This record gives sequence, C-alpha cells and structure tokens, in this order.
Amino acid sequence: MDVAEIISHHILDHDWGVTLSGFRIPVTTHTVTLLIVSLVLLLGLHWISLGRQSRAGRLLTTLMEEYVSFIRDGIVLPNMGKEGKSFLPYFCTLFLFVLCSALAGLIPNMKTATANISVTAGLALCSGGLILYCGLKFHGILGFLKGFIPSGTPGWLVPLIFPLEVVSMIIKVCVLAIRLFANMLSGHMVLICLLLIIFVVGQMHIAAGAGALVPAMGLELFMTCLELLVAFLQAYVFTLLTSIFAGSVIHTH
Amino acid sequence: MALGPFTKQDHVEITTLGMEFAVSEILCAGAGYWLDSHWGTAPWCLVAGAAAGFGLGLYQIIRAAGKMARKDQNLKKAEQKDGCR
Repeated sequence: MDVAEIISHHILDHDWGVTLSGFRIPVTTHTVTLLIVSLVLLLGLHWISLGRQSRAGRLLTTLMEEYVSFIRDGIVLPNMGKEGKSFLPYFCTLFLFVLCSALAGLIPNMKTATANISVTAGLALCSGGLILYCGLKFHGILGFLKGFIPSGTPGWLVPLIFPLEVVSMIIKVCVLAIRLFANMLSGHMVLICLLLIIFVVGQMHIAAGAGALVPAMGLELFMTCLELLVAFLQAYVFTLLTSIFAGSVIHTH
Repeated sequence: MALGPFTKQDHVEITTLGMEFAVSEILCAGAGYWLDSHWGTAPWCLVAGAAAGFGLGLYQIIRAAGKMARKDQNLKKAEQKDGCR
C-alpha cells in the first residue's frame, strides 16, 4: 500500500476537465465544490430573504438576522468604525463562503476547496482589493501612501520605512491566504492519516489492525469535531483579520 | 513594560506575527534564490534575501509590539482622565 499516494489522492485536486475545439474547460473537484457551495448559498439565502411565514422560514430569518448582527457588531464596527458599515455585505459573504467551503469538505465525496492555495489566494486577493479600495476611498492616493509612514518618523528614515511598510501590507495579505490553506490542508491530512493507521497496522497483523480500529476511529471522531470547530474559527479569523487590516488603513496612526 | 490586557483583536494579531515572520523570510529568500538563478550570483542574493526577510520579520514584530504598547498607554491615559472627572 502506497500511503503517500493515498494521502495525495485524498488531499489534492483532481482535474477531469474537457477540451472543446482547443479550449480547455477546467473542471476539478475543488471548482465543482466551490460552484455547489456558491449555488447552495445563493439559493438558500434567496429563499430566506423571501421571508416565508413557515416555522422553518421564520427560524432561518431570525438566524440570519443574528448572524448579520454578529458580523456587524462583533467584527466590522469595532475594527472599522462606522465607515465599515458600507462593507458589511462583503464581510457577511466572506464569512459564510469560507465557512461553507470548509464544512463542505466534511461531507463524503466532497473536497475542501479552501485546502487549495489558489482558492485561498483568490479570497486573500479580494480582501487585499478591499483594503486598497478602503485606503483610496477614505484618504485618496496621496493620503493612502502617506498612511504607510508611521507618525513621528524622521525624514531621512522615510525611504527605508515606506517600502518596508508596503511589503508588510503585502505579506499580511499573503498570510491571510497561507493561514487558511495550511489549517484546512493539515486538518484533512490528519484525518486521512488517522484512518490509514488501521490499514498500516492491519498489514502487519490482522489482529493488530482490528485492535487499532477502536482508538483510531475514536481519534478520527475527535478530529472531525475539531475540524468543525476549525472551520468556524478560520472563517472568523479570516473575516476578523480582513476587517482589522482594512480598519488600520482607514484609521491610520 | 508589561502589556495588556489584550483584546480579541490583539490576540488574533499576535498569532499572525509568527506566520508573518515566516512568510517574509520565505518570500525574501525565494526572491533572492530567483535572482541568483537568473544572474548566476549564487549564493549571495539568497543570503541577502534571507537577511532582508529576517530584518523585515523583526520590524513587523517590533512595530506590532509598539502599536500594542501605545494602545495600552492611551487606554491608561483615558482611564486616568475618567478618574479625574
């Protein structure tokens, strides 16, 4: 049994795209998962917004109102102030999308799209774009560039500090992508490794494999619960960090 | 000077610092390695890149600590003002 091959098959993206008259249409497990998550969110949220009078409809509407209040009062307003109110839809979308993409990976036959660096890089680029837009909107080009120089910096240090600050901001956006990617990938690697313990030990001796079954499955169950927590935590952290960085650009010094 | 109490935002920023340090090191060293492979100057650009990445990571940590200290001082000043009233 090639353990490395099994782990990489479980973790990596699989391309079954088709080529139509020389044009490649990339269809991969991650893109399909992303499309399904987007569709479910679009249709589900549209259904909730219709304000159905059924019991489930009322419950979901209340739940969504609480969710939006949580994002507004817990994430956007403390970090971005009242200026952040206009960006509330972005943060609500971001949190739900990251959360549902991570949770989708726990459904059999579906993959965690956020365990792909391209997906997290795309999300981080969107957040980077928002940070840039906030800076330009509230301070203009010159004011935004001035914001990179900390107050009280001596004039002769400005040529050194300015590029450092610009690179720091780029690195912060890169860290957003890498943090989410690494957390999602490592969680799934641990899950598959725990399952493989049974088969690896079972290859040595069938009785030992049967003995490893209970502790391995117990650990698997524990890690799956932890993955649930990590999905919520990472969605929260990604949204919170985006709002902190955007807030630091709006309220310079 | 002792820092704190930390807010939720401070905690998240602190946990990011380690990764920021690592990413700045990897990015700068990677850029140095790329320049080395283009200019044939191995290993000097890699060494310079790694040193620059280390410096950048250190700068980020010092700046974050300074920011938190300033926030703490501002908080104490505000508390003292409230006490005087």
